[in-house]
Amino acid sequence: MSAHLLKAALFALLGAALAWPVGHFFEPWQGWAVFCISLLLQMVFHFRNFSRLEAWTRAPVVDDTLEGDGAWNGIFGRLYRHEKDLRQQIKSREDEIGLLIAAGQALTDGVILLDTMNQIQFCNSMAETQLGLVVRTDRGQHIANLVRQPEFVDYLAAENFERPLLLRSDRRADLMLSIHVIPYGNDRKLMQIKDVTQTERLDRMRRDFVANVSHELRTPLTVLAGFLETMQEIEVDRDERQRYLTLMAEQSQRMLSIVQDLLTLSSIESAPPPCHEVVDMATMVDRLHRDAQALSGGRHHIELLIEGQCDLRGAESELNSALTNLVSNAVRYTPAGGKIRLTWRSGGQGAEFAVEDTGIGIDPSHIPRLTERFYRADRGRSRDAGGTGLGLAIVKHALSRHQARLEIQSTPGVGSCFRARFPASRVVLL
Amino acid sequence: MNETSHVSSQFDEDLANLRTHVLQMGGLVETQVSAAIDAYSTGEVSSVKAIVETDRKVNELEKAIDDDCAHLIAKRQPTASDLRLVLGISKIVTDLERAGDEAKKIAKGVRRIYENGHMPVQYGIGVRHIAEAALVMVRQSLDAFARMDSKLAETVIYADRDVDTEFKSIMRQLITHMMEDPRTITTSIDIIWISRAIERIGDHAKNIAEHVIFVVEGRDIRHPGKKGGSAQ
Repeated sequence: MSAHLLKAALFALLGAALAWPVGHFFEPWQGWAVFCISLLLQMVFHFRNFSRLEAWTRAPVVDDTLEGDGAWNGIFGRLYRHEKDLRQQIKSREDEIGLLIAAGQALTDGVILLDTMNQIQFCNSMAETQLGLVVRTDRGQHIANLVRQPEFVDYLAAENFERPLLLRSDRRADLMLSIHVIPYGNDRKLMQIKDVTQTERLDRMRRDFVANVSHELRTPLTVLAGFLETMQEIEVDRDERQRYLTLMAEQSQRMLSIVQDLLTLSSIESAPPPCHEVVDMATMVDRLHRDAQALSGGRHHIELLIEGQCDLRGAESELNSALTNLVSNAVRYTPAGGKIRLTWRSGGQGAEFAVEDTGIGIDPSHIPRLTERFYRADRGRSRDAGGTGLGLAIVKHALSRHQARLEIQSTPGVGSCFRARFPASRVVLL
Repeated sequence: MNETSHVSSQFDEDLANLRTHVLQMGGLVETQVSAAIDAYSTGEVSSVKAIVETDRKVNELEKAIDDDCAHLIAKRQPTASDLRLVLGISKIVTDLERAGDEAKKIAKGVRRIYENGHMPVQYGIGVRHIAEAALVMVRQSLDAFARMDSKLAETVIYADRDVDTEFKSIMRQLITHMMEDPRTITTSIDIIWISRAIERIGDHAKNIAEHVIFVVEGRDIRHPGKKGGSAQ
């Protein structure tokens, strides 16, 4: 600082030194004029630097370096560095925020941040799909304006967030959401949204399973017990007795087949992954065709179509029980005179076994649940047809162990098509 | 200076609250409609009571919102887009309330059918389809209002035509049923009432969408056929 002061004083002295001889040899006012001019020059120099600084502060750029002369150089340099540091800090903060946002986006749960007025501040893409939001336009919107279900509005208004709210999505059917609001900061809220559709479904399946298995076993047991009681207490004649016994045998047969199917199912579930023995599909398909004809007893027109000659790798017994179930279902649920077509189509892309029928069909609402144990689209009818309610569960398990998928298409009153699709990795080209 | 900015932010808050109340009412109507459709397809007659109960809440909200609108106009004298918003809200609320009434009619019709021991589902696929379309229309018109999205409002207006066409085809189908088998007449008439109510819900959703366009763009697109209707 003092160096700059000294410099300025020296410059003024220099001007004075120049002015003094001029004033001495010529008129005094000329000497003064020279002195003033030298001072003015100094001012012009400073003013140039000042205006440069002024222009820069209006639109600070750090692309080209800001340079000043003399005393200004240091100031300009420090200012320039300060600006540069600030920008660097802003950028690194922005990067950090960007990373945090990316982390928020990467979460598999939906996350929404609400401000003090319950307006959306941030929402990740999972939350967007779960609640039908569009973050681009909905930022700053009151959350209850878009998620309008009364349960949610009440939950938000009640401000009691100890328990999460279980909400059935109104935008996507069958989507169950668990919404947990967690207050944070100064009266702000974080909404965590979990998709609990699967958990809910599993819960319901478990409950249904226990209820169903007891119900399915109790029904025949009640009949058995009833007849036994009758025969113990009342003297019945020979014919009557014979009829009772026949019915009792039927019912115990039913119970037996239910237990058998349950055992098959549990053995499929607990068995080690299917081995890679090659299963002769031509023979199996042919046998399925003959079984179907035997089961139908000539009431249906059953045809067999074979395209391509491939075998499958897998466990023969499991494949057999899966495909047999598909075929016997078609025979059971197709009225007499209907058509059933079995197709075995195979090639390098994979293979499929399809059973098409002109049966009673299934309402679309039942299709997703058909493979649940004891799930029946129509209780009375399927029991009359002799089903245990476990057939498609067995099919699904056996197929999924072979990485195969079960596809169901059906139109009520027109017919159904059940396809077992096997991946190429299971196919053995002959 | 400070005083006016304080007043106007209070005003903005009032407007935002009004909007939130309208959408809250909309949420109730949406639930009513979807519950009525569920009752129709599953025969869960137990939900009918809840639907009627919700209707009472909707009616109360309508009155409260109308009152708020009147107060807002009297106290703050809104102009331009704010005035359009308030006017639009008071019309939207009327349509919402009527849509809620139609949902109630559906629910009662369903109860009548099931109490007589019939299942509407056998004719049901078409009805369920337009019911779902109408529900989507209601939802989209409310979304359009929440987001002030006139594009979405226009799609709702177009969707109404499909619902109307489908309603007519359901009518024809039911008339054939009735001619074939006179025993189905009672149930068929109930189903006609129900489909009519659904069609009306679609109309109310369309009206709401038209009000949204009025609020956003300031043009009135109702009854375009008439002289003096605004340019499209």
